[in-house]
Amino acid sequence: MKEAQVFLSAKDICKAFGPTRALVDVNIEIARGEVHGLIGENGSGKSTFSSIAAGAQTKDSGDFYIDGELYSPKNMTDAQNHGVSMIVQEMGTIPTISVASNIFAGRLEEFTKFGIVNFKEINRRANEILQQIGAADIKAETMTYRLNFEDRKIVEIARAMVCDPQLLIVDETTTALAHKGRTILYRLIEKMKEENKCVIFISHDLDELMSVCNVVTVLRDGHIIDTLFGEDITLQSMRRLMVGRDMADNYFRSDYEGSYSDEVVLEADNVTYGIVEKLNLQLHRGEILGLGGLSACGMHELGYILFGIAKTLTGKVVNRITGKEITSPIVATANKMAYISKERDKEGIILNATIRDNITVPSFDLLSGPMGFISTKNEEKLAEEQIKVMSIKCRNSRQRVSELSGGNKQKVVFAKWLARDCDVFILDCPTRGIDIGVKAAMYQLIYELKKQGKGVIMISEELPELIGMSDRIVLMKDGKITKEIARDKSVTEQTVIDYII
Amino acid sequence: MEERDIQKELENKAKRKELLMNILPFAGLILITVFFIIVTKGRILRVDNLANLVNSMFTITLASCGAVFVYAHGGLDFSIGSTSGLAQFICIFMIMKLGLPVPLGILGAVFIAMAACSIVGLASIKLHIHPFVASLCVKNITAGLLSVLTQKAGGQITLDYSRFKIFNSVWLKGMVLVVMVGLGFYLFERTKLGKIQKAIGGNSRTVEQAGISVRKYKMLAYMVLGFCVGIAAFFQMTRIGTVSSSSGSGLEFDIMIAMVLGGFPMSGGSAAKFRQFVLGGITMTILTNGLTMWGLDVSYVSLVKGLLLIVLVSVSYDRSIMKQVSIISL
Repeated sequence: MKEAQVFLSAKDICKAFGPTRALVDVNIEIARGEVHGLIGENGSGKSTFSSIAAGAQTKDSGDFYIDGELYSPKNMTDAQNHGVSMIVQEMGTIPTISVASNIFAGRLEEFTKFGIVNFKEINRRANEILQQIGAADIKAETMTYRLNFEDRKIVEIARAMVCDPQLLIVDETTTALAHKGRTILYRLIEKMKEENKCVIFISHDLDELMSVCNVVTVLRDGHIIDTLFGEDITLQSMRRLMVGRDMADNYFRSDYEGSYSDEVVLEADNVTYGIVEKLNLQLHRGEILGLGGLSACGMHELGYILFGIAKTLTGKVVNRITGKEITSPIVATANKMAYISKERDKEGIILNATIRDNITVPSFDLLSGPMGFISTKNEEKLAEEQIKVMSIKCRNSRQRVSELSGGNKQKVVFAKWLARDCDVFILDCPTRGIDIGVKAAMYQLIYELKKQGKGVIMISEELPELIGMSDRIVLMKDGKITKEIARDKSVTEQTVIDYII
Repeated sequence: MEERDIQKELENKAKRKELLMNILPFAGLILITVFFIIVTKGRILRVDNLANLVNSMFTITLASCGAVFVYAHGGLDFSIGSTSGLAQFICIFMIMKLGLPVPLGILGAVFIAMAACSIVGLASIKLHIHPFVASLCVKNITAGLLSVLTQKAGGQITLDYSRFKIFNSVWLKGMVLVVMVGLGFYLFERTKLGKIQKAIGGNSRTVEQAGISVRKYKMLAYMVLGFCVGIAAFFQMTRIGTVSSSSGSGLEFDIMIAMVLGGFPMSGGSAAKFRQFVLGGITMTILTNGLTMWGLDVSYVSLVKGLLLIVLVSVSYDRSIMKQVSIISL
């Protein structure tokens, strides 16, 4: 192998957040011409490492070197001036200023003379960059809030390209991107590689990593576990190194018999809300019903309707076990239904509260004794029980949820519903943004619910899990059901994809 | 081995920090008390001044017992000062002018205060007006009503003190205070009424989706506040003995200062604790009283209070809550 020229090297980097050690003596070398994948479960330290390298956070100890010279960025602009640029996971754009101002945010002084900002020049330069990355259809003068979600993400990519970076850090950007954005990003990465620059690429999608990266470093609990080159980068090896053990083959359920009782537990009769129009759906006892489609197909809205969060304009949703019409989350929970939101941090959990306070929220009525008294002891008991059942990785039930990894946060969301005895589960993207170890546990749990005779609706954008888990898949497009597929060994992504695009 | 040591040290550090945050408000109170005991040569602890302290502590602490519910869910009420004034007027009018029995007067005060606070709640919940704006509107309404009514009634109404001796006894006030603080603590920390307020302050959508009526619980918080303000208004009226158009004013600011001094989180949420509010109220009372006892001219008291507040807040306020990754920090 030819000796590659090292661009960025990290020596003994350490970082702690309160009592959590995010990085422990991390040594990494990023060579020119490298697309260097960083993988690891949530909370393994990959995002922390890259944000320190990009100047968004400070390190506790250790040193960075660029081309052999000591490098310690003061902030993200300083890092950019040193040739290190990052497309951030979820920083977003400022909606009320123009695209150009977003791209050059933090750099306006460079265009300022005698206190007057030369917007003409900013717009010209911004348009230039947009053109370079292949997004000429976005105009620099546009107010950012007029752009759709996808285009805003592309603006973030453009922002990272401002200073002609030598090292581009892509932190889980692709999760939020659809086809257009991905094409732009992949092309950009390819170009960087050709120009002998380097890329750090962070993603949960192992297939994507395999196709994009030529080096992959695996992190676990803030430690570097191993680095894989070229041919050694395989799904098996990456999974094994991430989780620390061989993943079992029955990642999804192993049977191919779509089985469920005839008894309907939840029924949507002619419901309408948002893009969803006059739709009918039935969920049976002991059934895992997969709802699939593109993000905007209306399946998430349907989840809202089924739990009464969104009010249907026509028809009704009825819980067939109790015969009650579901008109609000209050009625839904009273009728033993549970809902897990796709927006975990925004809707699913109270970030600043403790694990205990999160788990007890839907169960206050069960915990209240005479005079409404809720004993701390009982709360503690309930929380500890669920932490054990779900094997949530934490110090104790009084730890704040914001300190947990994505997977463990999701476990808390599950736990709060499991603490109640529910009959119907509506799960909107239950494995979104969680790592494979926890994912496998979630699939097992969902299957367990089915075996207990619960009705489960699993809304998902990931076709493999829909096919792997559902007794019946209902596919949606433009707010309508396009196809219903029964569980069968022969179902593949190809059979499914035509009905949703 | 070494690794485990580092982990342990980090955990201890986090624990120490949490402990410090919990202790600071207490330490502040003790520090201020000791300071004033020294500079006033113990005069602050004299029986007549202690009675004084209980009296001035009374209103703010009572109002705090209710305000804690509203501020915990992220709401606020800027109208309680004027509302208290109006409640005082209605109470004194019912007793002195209409000759109604005292308990009815108390009911009148409580009713008015609960109604005013409910309007703030309703406007913010049903009409989605920010409680700040809603309560400013209500403040103007109640203040306006108070000044119109006092004029119509021919200026100040004065209370016949002899009939109200019992309500000015420090012992009764002390007892009421203990009962209300106890009840408030119980409701806020040990029943779902309080727990849900904190949860709403943390993330109202999560609470909504957990099948809890956020609107109902927000409304209840405003009603509890109204109740406490009403009771406080009655006792304030019996103490001062007269109601004018400026009665009660300033209470809303005292509440906010108490909140800050006690370390109560500005936007509510799960870090909110009942004792923070009460502690803050007590600290503020001692501060005001101590400064006056020390011989500071009354006109300087609020100046010094403001300065001290900045110092105290900068020591105790958890800035990490406000620190969020923003594009500005680029």
